[in-house]
Amino acid sequence: MRISRRTFLKSSGASAAALAAGSVTWLGAHPAKAAPNSPELHVLNRATWGITPADIAEIQARGIEGWLDWQLDFENIADPEVGKYLQRKPILNSDARGIARAIDRDYGSVHEALLWGRVHRAAFSTRQLYERAVEFWTDHFNIPSPDLLMEKILDDRDVIRKHALGNFRDLLLASAMSPAMLIYLDNIFSSAENPNENYARELMELHTLGVDGGYTEQDVKNVARALTGWGIRDGWPGRFYFDLNVHDYGEKSVLGRTFPADRGIEEGLELLDFLALHPSTARHLATKLLKFFVTDEPPQSFIESTAQAYLVAEGDIGATIRHIFTSAEFYQFTGAKYRRPLDIMVASIRVLSPALDVSDPEWILWELNPLGQMPFHWYPPDGYPLAAAPWLNSGALLARWNFAFNMARSDEGWYEGVSFNRDLFIPDALTVGEWVDGAAAQILGAPLAGADRDAVIAFVGDDNGPDFEIWDEWREWKTSSLIGLLLSSPYFQWI
Amino acid sequence: MNRRDVMQSFGLGVIGLSPSLFPRWMPKLAFAPHGQTANRDVLVAIFQRGGMDGLNAVVPFGEGANYYDRRPTIAIAEPGNGDESAIDLNGFFGLHPALRPLKDVWDAGNLTVIHGAGSPDPSRSHFDAMEFMERGTPGVKTTASGWINRHLQTASWQNDSPFRAVGMGALIQSALRGQAATLALQSISDFHLNGRDDQLAGITSTLASLYSVAAPNDLLQREAAQIYATMDILRELDPDNYQPSYGAQYPDTEFGQALRQIAILIKADLGLEVACVDIGGWDTHENQGGANGTYAGLIGEMGQGLAAFHLDLTDYMSGVTVVTMSEFGRRVTENASEGTDHGHGNVMFMLGGGATSQVYADWGGLATDQLDDGDLKVTTDYRDILSEILIKRLGNNAVDRIFPGYTPSMHDLLTAR
Repeated sequence: MRISRRTFLKSSGASAAALAAGSVTWLGAHPAKAAPNSPELHVLNRATWGITPADIAEIQARGIEGWLDWQLDFENIADPEVGKYLQRKPILNSDARGIARAIDRDYGSVHEALLWGRVHRAAFSTRQLYERAVEFWTDHFNIPSPDLLMEKILDDRDVIRKHALGNFRDLLLASAMSPAMLIYLDNIFSSAENPNENYARELMELHTLGVDGGYTEQDVKNVARALTGWGIRDGWPGRFYFDLNVHDYGEKSVLGRTFPADRGIEEGLELLDFLALHPSTARHLATKLLKFFVTDEPPQSFIESTAQAYLVAEGDIGATIRHIFTSAEFYQFTGAKYRRPLDIMVASIRVLSPALDVSDPEWILWELNPLGQMPFHWYPPDGYPLAAAPWLNSGALLARWNFAFNMARSDEGWYEGVSFNRDLFIPDALTVGEWVDGAAAQILGAPLAGADRDAVIAFVGDDNGPDFEIWDEWREWKTSSLIGLLLSSPYFQWI
Repeated sequence: MNRRDVMQSFGLGVIGLSPSLFPRWMPKLAFAPHGQTANRDVLVAIFQRGGMDGLNAVVPFGEGANYYDRRPTIAIAEPGNGDESAIDLNGFFGLHPALRPLKDVWDAGNLTVIHGAGSPDPSRSHFDAMEFMERGTPGVKTTASGWINRHLQTASWQNDSPFRAVGMGALIQSALRGQAATLALQSISDFHLNGRDDQLAGITSTLASLYSVAAPNDLLQREAAQIYATMDILRELDPDNYQPSYGAQYPDTEFGQALRQIAILIKADLGLEVACVDIGGWDTHENQGGANGTYAGLIGEMGQGLAAFHLDLTDYMSGVTVVTMSEFGRRVTENASEGTDHGHGNVMFMLGGGATSQVYADWGGLATDQLDDGDLKVTTDYRDILSEILIKRLGNNAVDRIFPGYTPSMHDLLTAR
């Protein structure tokens, strides 16, 4: 027989019944379960890649504003783990020709150095807010790596990382001159005779003004004309080149502003600066920064104040971010952000370290495919989605659960190159209750409560109640499942 | 319980599934040859992300110089010039040579082509154009749900299967988003929970409790409930040993495998009503190629996949409608990089029992004065096509709620069930 719908409905359990049409009303995105947050934990949740005990100690010692100022002044924070990684992977600091040669020899290992570098730095850098800003701009100026690996390594280093907490005007200019961007969005093919509008359109729609920023199709055409000649040159790998011979020297008008005739690269420079500090750009960047750091649906008042902060600071990114984290409105949105898949992976690594040791990242990187967010593998120019809705689906949630249990079991010899010392991780505990509470505090920032605590205690204690005394072998037996459950719980998904 | 009891329980292996979550309901699956008993088609909606070049998919070779002069390097030759020329459909339009597999579908009377179709909104932004198209409200960004979800909501029947609406991929398509529950599937065979075998039952029930799957209270919990309902059934399907019928061969690509999995779900009669599949890579700004090259590879993959699906589901196709769409077409004139920039009017394909092999086009031609800012005009609103599917094949007349503010025209492209 085949499975008929009727049979399925009659026989299937509670979960299917709950799905029956009519019994599921339209539910808001606001989570029913999220860990409780103090203001300090809320800041750490959004300004780091996952809270560690060291982060808590720092913010307690410095206070919220002191911690922000310390993190924003990132160049004065020693970053030993990242330093070690770059020593092991000198390719990331190589020049264009060196990278190109290495890619010819072994594309896979160069690509892995870049991809794991993204995860590793997010997980182990002491410059956590900086690494969050890097992530934001990586999506904002999205360029996929597979077809442009050499140029992408340069773009990541010399555009995104160089300016992530600097000034947006510099960042925008660096991006416009970046060979990766010039190739990815076709500006290298744009000439006075045959202007290519691809970069011009995304420059205004995605990078600056926003799709509702008030520009017209004619503005797109004119921006494309103004940027003709911005490209690269054969034999000069990884370098910007302005080609006088294909530039359009005619007069152009963009958003009502006239760009007079007979000017070369300088009209493009003026145009980019004009776009960078346009009020529409301020609102567009403010909205996106708030979606990234605060909430999927930022209130208009918060957008306006953030846009204003950006304009007052004349494009200073750190000052804009500081405004966000020091605004009273920021503190209204605790527990309401759904972690993206890379956040889940990195936060898992952070809470499991230092018991976790990754000598070969291949398996962990591979897990980012089912999770849905391999770094630098989003192909359209808009970057991975910031809001929860696109990530909230059953297949992706199941992948999160499985990643959690796979990580927790990585000391069982399943994955070469990853070892996890469970004994280092979960402290000794006399009773099941103490054990579960300690593990939850370590992973979720707070113990579980109510029915959720009861359910976990019942499972790991075999229904013997919270006061049941356990011993080493017992913990040995149930630790990976306990860690997996906490990492896969709703409390770990919402921050 | 003492320590010794616990130690003895370690070696038990698989304990079995908790009866409260998983009733001992284990029907044997057999793929039935004629699975469709419902009076409505399964809809498979394929979205070609990036803006397909419709003028090279279904070539208007009858336009002569209006087509050939504008595409000096990428044009497809007129029919009758060997393997690399267009495959004639009606003396004016012809298929790209890489779409040869679809010619069989055409010859079987099961392929409808609509040219000059698309969304009336003039946006040349991928993201706006896709969202407008998938939400079913061109130009309106505030629409909260997708058109397919509104179809599910407004259908006169409701189907409680977790497989009612499936989106293939890691992210759910915008057309599927909304109040009616949908399922995102990457792989049928991987859709199960990992964990220590000897503790899997306890893990499964504890996680169900943490996510309140018996009574979900937020969107995430609802997805969790969906996982549990789905795992229950997929355990029975054995997709790794699935043999397509009639020797059908799906391309070994994400797109081909997605179609293969949809075929499995259709044959298993699990209540699938709509499925969404994406195929990306159509943003061919440079080095597009003509009869060979990048675009030919992509359109060939699509044609091969659709033809394999059609063949595999030969005995089911009278109850299946496949429709393809893309956010916009591309410029008539190729650019300096031997590619094409964002345009407007495009081609849609429909396959299935209701399809009638014809090329439908309210065709103004490619003469300069007939173009819309250099692009093929949209002369047939894509909502007309979808409305005809909804009414004639899916049994849902509520198109005024699915496409609010729009009154569709019927073009007699499909036979009614």
